[in-house]
Amino acid sequence: MKLNVNDHQYDVHAAVGTTLAEALRDELALTGTKIACAEGHCGACTVLVDGEPVLSCITLVHSVENASVTTIEGLREHRMIDSFVRNDALQCGFCTPGQIVSAVALVETNPAPSTEEIRHAMAGNLCRCGAYPKIEEAVRTWRD
Amino acid sequence: MARLIRTEKEVEGRYEEVWLVVEEDSLDQWPAGARDIVGRPATRVDALERATGQAVYTADLALPGMLHTAVLRSPHPRARVTHLDLAPALALAGVHAAIGPDDLEQLTAEPNYQGAPIAAVCADSLAQARAALRAIDCRFDVLEPLLDPDEAVRRGELLGEARVRERGDYERGLAEADVVVEAEYRTQVVLHNSMETHQAVVEWTGDDRVDVHISTQYIWGIRDAVSDGLGLPKDNVRVICHYMGGGFGSKNGPDDYTFIAAELAKRTRRPVKCALTRREENTAAGNRNATIQRLTVGARSDGTITALGGEFVNAVGWSGWSSGTEGPMQMLYACANVKTTTYGAKLNLPPMKAFRAPGFVEGTFGLEALLDELAAKLDVDPLELRRRNYAEHAPEGGDYSAKNLLECYRRAEPHWERRHEVRARSTDTVKRGVGMASQIWYGGGGPPSYAWIRVGSDGRAQVVTAMQDIGTGTKTAMAQIAAEELGVPLEHVTVSLGDSARGPYAAISAGSSTTPSMGPAVRAAAADARRQIEEIAEQRGLAKDAPVHEVVDVLEDAQILGKGARGPNPTGMQVLTFGVQVAEVAVDVETGEVWVERIYAVHDVGRVINPLGASSQIEGGIIQGIGHTLSEERLHDPRTGRLLTTTLDAYRLPTIADVPEIVSELVDEPDPQLTNLGSKGLGEPPIIPTAAAIANAIRDATGADVRQLPITREEMLRALRESRERHAAPARV
Amino acid sequence: MQLQRASSTDIGAATPIHGGTEVVPLLRAGLLRTDELVDIRGVVPRGIADGRIGAGAPLAELECDPTIPDALREACRLAASPQLRNMGSLGGNLLQATRCWYWRLGWPCRLHRGADGYGDECFAREGEHREHAIFANGYCASAHPSDVAAALLALDARLRTNRRELPLADLYRLPTEDDRRTTTLEDGEVILEVEVPPCDASVYLKAMERKRWAFPIVGVAAVRRGGETRVALAGVAPVPWLLDGFEAATPLPRNAYKVEVAQALVKRAVAAIRG
Repeated sequence: MKLNVNDHQYDVHAAVGTTLAEALRDELALTGTKIACAEGHCGACTVLVDGEPVLSCITLVHSVENASVTTIEGLREHRMIDSFVRNDALQCGFCTPGQIVSAVALVETNPAPSTEEIRHAMAGNLCRCGAYPKIEEAVRTWRD
Repeated sequence: MARLIRTEKEVEGRYEEVWLVVEEDSLDQWPAGARDIVGRPATRVDALERATGQAVYTADLALPGMLHTAVLRSPHPRARVTHLDLAPALALAGVHAAIGPDDLEQLTAEPNYQGAPIAAVCADSLAQARAALRAIDCRFDVLEPLLDPDEAVRRGELLGEARVRERGDYERGLAEADVVVEAEYRTQVVLHNSMETHQAVVEWTGDDRVDVHISTQYIWGIRDAVSDGLGLPKDNVRVICHYMGGGFGSKNGPDDYTFIAAELAKRTRRPVKCALTRREENTAAGNRNATIQRLTVGARSDGTITALGGEFVNAVGWSGWSSGTEGPMQMLYACANVKTTTYGAKLNLPPMKAFRAPGFVEGTFGLEALLDELAAKLDVDPLELRRRNYAEHAPEGGDYSAKNLLECYRRAEPHWERRHEVRARSTDTVKRGVGMASQIWYGGGGPPSYAWIRVGSDGRAQVVTAMQDIGTGTKTAMAQIAAEELGVPLEHVTVSLGDSARGPYAAISAGSSTTPSMGPAVRAAAADARRQIEEIAEQRGLAKDAPVHEVVDVLEDAQILGKGARGPNPTGMQVLTFGVQVAEVAVDVETGEVWVERIYAVHDVGRVINPLGASSQIEGGIIQGIGHTLSEERLHDPRTGRLLTTTLDAYRLPTIADVPEIVSELVDEPDPQLTNLGSKGLGEPPIIPTAAAIANAIRDATGADVRQLPITREEMLRALRESRERHAAPARV
Repeated sequence: MQLQRASSTDIGAATPIHGGTEVVPLLRAGLLRTDELVDIRGVVPRGIADGRIGAGAPLAELECDPTIPDALREACRLAASPQLRNMGSLGGNLLQATRCWYWRLGWPCRLHRGADGYGDECFAREGEHREHAIFANGYCASAHPSDVAAALLALDARLRTNRRELPLADLYRLPTEDDRRTTTLEDGEVILEVEVPPCDASVYLKAMERKRWAFPIVGVAAVRRGGETRVALAGVAPVPWLLDGFEAATPLPRNAYKVEVAQALVKRAVAAIRG
């Protein structure tokens, strides 16, 4: 099958049932997308599909064949990255790519989100280290 | 001069006597306050790699030819394997090896807890390994599990002896009391839930050499345990961990999965990865054990505590250790008469592991809630009660190396004063209140720990030490210390860590010990290099404080090498951390909903290296504390003992929406007795007082005594009902 | 396993998949077994107009749609997580299975169909049931987790499938010894559209164990049309529950608190929509 990731077209050989997260990591070696629960509960695997944040660990790769997938590797130039670094919005960093993908999706549609909007939009990305206050600040001040 | 000493070493509140070679720490501490680099906020030196997904965690490793493992773990808390046939698994496509209890010591046919490993298979892909696992024919004789901690104590099913600690005359202390409060507190099992699950990739690089890539908090502990387990010379085990996704105390040892990977790698002559799934993680990778605490406090009417007593039952699980749940009761207050008995109940439940201040989180909830119940009964202000019982000297003997708890109380006062205004914002259905709790814990670290440093002719330095950064920002703090001492910009220092073959021994990242153990060694190494740079400057006729790159620019390939070691801890002194948190909560008295609106935290951990990273540590600890207090609980089925909340929909970690306003500060007073830095650790202190502060705020808001964690709606409504009934009951004549 | 794209709503015996937020985890956990998946995204309507909502509309669109009743919008807003709301469709949400931990972990309970058929025990009744049903829990104590279904039940919504039209209330059935299903949807039947009749006022209140991204301990939807108020609950029975007083409640030893929570929220919800 064909898979469009970060504006590159890839040929992927995967059995039906393979998830997008598995395909990204195992077939394309795009390991910025993390798998932490593998059942749709934690948000570490968040990627954009046609601009919307989705959980790649419970998305069948064959269901996104005609879609455009953006992973953290496709967002390296985004100002949100610098904002996370500047605000110390990460500790162990394992959930961070997923956090940044969700944050980017939020500010692309709502460049100046309120605290409540940030909390609502980021609630599906769990961070066990508890970097949340700094994540909130990073999203709030991403253009500074 | 190197000196051989016999000393006590403390990790996670446990002491052992060890021989140590220590080198004198001849450097004077820097004066208190922010320096050019140390004491000023720094962003993480490795933040960009982590944020962009370029950092390679153990989970991201894909070595050529690497095989994947699935582990058959017991679904039963107590059972005997009556039949095990691995052949059907071996017959499947992609499968390379399968092992059972006869093949490896870590595998068992007599599981005594759910999650005990029985067999393992490895295959080209993880999907193949899992399919093979399902094909294994394994039958059990299921036996009755022991699940009740009190029953285990009655039957004498204990891990170690009951621990009795007594000073003074407890009975006499009670007799002297005007008021006695007794209460039973319970805390639940909490799961670490590091985002990166426990995992290792093991590769044999020769007949007697292995590389172990592992998500760990203790590179050198893994080296020693693996070399012991495999019977290899220590340095034939190379342990590598450049990035790891959280540990919180659960990743201090190699566990079963490392040995499973090693055995399968040996058999297949391939690198083998063994990674736990989230459900395995939440079953078999450790937990904060449940506790039952039956506590008593006696006090005179002026608030002077005359007696403290407690029976503590740690529901340890099948193995592990009985943590110091009684520690806060023994250590926090100046009470002459204290008696505690602590039992470690051995149960058919998964083994505990250290989890961020093990024992003290639980024990502080009990003790500090008890103190507020006493304050209410005496009608004494809770903060005042704590000051009246302040311990000038360590109650168990010895002096503190430094203690600024009174300063913490002083700084907390304006936040405590907010309670009148907070309470005034209550409505008929939403009651608001403020509560506080104190914190005591270790965090002094200790020797040995070593660092090397090399400075090149470009004036840039590399710190080399085989430590790990588990997400706490240690790498950044070490770069700051080296840059400060060398007198170079922070961005001219890199830190090479994460590989036992590339650098000297470094301390475990646990017990709030990394910075106080490693920091002085790094500073000593930098000072060694700095001394040489100044000697060169003198010979070149340059000023002593000339810029480093100007001094060394003629060196070409020559390098300046410095080495440093962690000096000894002060003898006969207690090196401890202190703090206070003040919580503001709201309680919906009709629905039992509790939410935290604000937490103020002040901690005394000596000199602060990186205020930015430190504030992140405090926030993280508090947020884990809020989860512990309000929403997290590992439940098991009461009849079979099988676990029920091993997935992250049912086991509820706090989300960003659950986070209150957090205001934090640090006393930032170097401990004059402790090393060339005066810094203590900050990993654990912030999680310790959170639960008690919240519970006390709930009492302030509603008058209800919550005595059980987590404070779910069920527990909150129960406590409110009990409080209403208590107040409705006619006063005793 | 195969995955086909549906060319019509006539999907035969294949298992339909839309957002996949329920189907994929259940497949991977072994709770759902199928050889044939059919992607129905191309054939299920997703537009929102004049009180008719395509069953393919993602919850994320509904949560910010000003034209739908407050109760439905709020139920969507408080459901699941942002990513799940982006992925999950309205129709799929109505068909989600219980969060009962025994069922989700594959215990052989009365709702669990294993290789040897259904189990014959409700483990929750005798075990840990603090988040379980307080109504109609005699046979199975599972709680239905759909916030959206409770809102639509209170709104008296109707469904159009590829085979019939029915009141939403008729989509659900309590499991019995003879028939363990919790919906009346037949094999091959696909929900296409939800019709939401207008109302004068509506509200959805949700009690959960964290502020976001949790299934309801109790969800309460209340809808007023003229002088008539209709209240439906999520998380309190094996199906979305149309409230007809609390006398029918049969709480278990560890979940009586849910009755208290539900009563408080019902009182507030009814007050909130009072004309």
